[in-house]
Amino acid sequence: MKRWIKKAWPYWAGGLLLGGLNVLLLALSGQAWQVSGGYLLWGAGILQKLGVPALTWDYFEVYNTRYRQIIADDSVFLNQYTILNLGVVTGALLATLASSQFKWKKVKGKKQVAFALLGGILMGYGSRLAGGCNIGGFFSGLASFSLHAWVFWLFVAAGAFVGTRLLLRFLAR
Amino acid sequence: MEIKDLDCLYEACPIPLIRAIQTLRTMQSGDILVVHSDESCAAVMMQEWAQQNGYSIRVTESDVGEWEIYLQKP
Repeated sequence: MKRWIKKAWPYWAGGLLLGGLNVLLLALSGQAWQVSGGYLLWGAGILQKLGVPALTWDYFEVYNTRYRQIIADDSVFLNQYTILNLGVVTGALLATLASSQFKWKKVKGKKQVAFALLGGILMGYGSRLAGGCNIGGFFSGLASFSLHAWVFWLFVAAGAFVGTRLLLRFLAR
Repeated sequence: MEIKDLDCLYEACPIPLIRAIQTLRTMQSGDILVVHSDESCAAVMMQEWAQQNGYSIRVTESDVGEWEIYLQKP
């Protein structure tokens, strides 16, 4: 039992679990799993509070029309995506606590900060242009036999190739 | 026989493994490299890599969420 909680699970076990849970989520809520859309709504909501009319930008008309209802309901901070994202964080926290591996991580250096920020911005921007991240755009898309997920996969593979080169060149000393 | 420490604390995977391979390249047969990491995946990756490449490996959790990975060059 202890070993089972402590040791990292193999990829196939995680894959089966994620797939099964996504089916369950779709059956119960009528919507497959998405992550980055929730953060998009938070970001736009924060900008709105700061006086930038982000929620009326063309983006929400052209892309992601599925967020229209949430915006109309004025619930950009509290919606199904928020619940799912909080679930991800809570689940990860419980898993680390259960394996007693919880630890506050320090920052290694300025280079790490710069790369983390740059990577985060690129990923966030890319996910918005692609209309989803690797969960909504790829994982859930692939499971529903959508062509877009395969296109997404091709470009993620290309991006990962370039990213690996950059990592070897700049981050691994 | 030389024993070398490699501080990979707060480095994300796969950087600890890459740095370990780079360091081991400069070491002699029988030398031991001690990698310090706070990523659980670092130990998992290194175990797989050590098995594939014939390195002896021992992993200890030295602190909460911190590992020491001992790699001996064959």
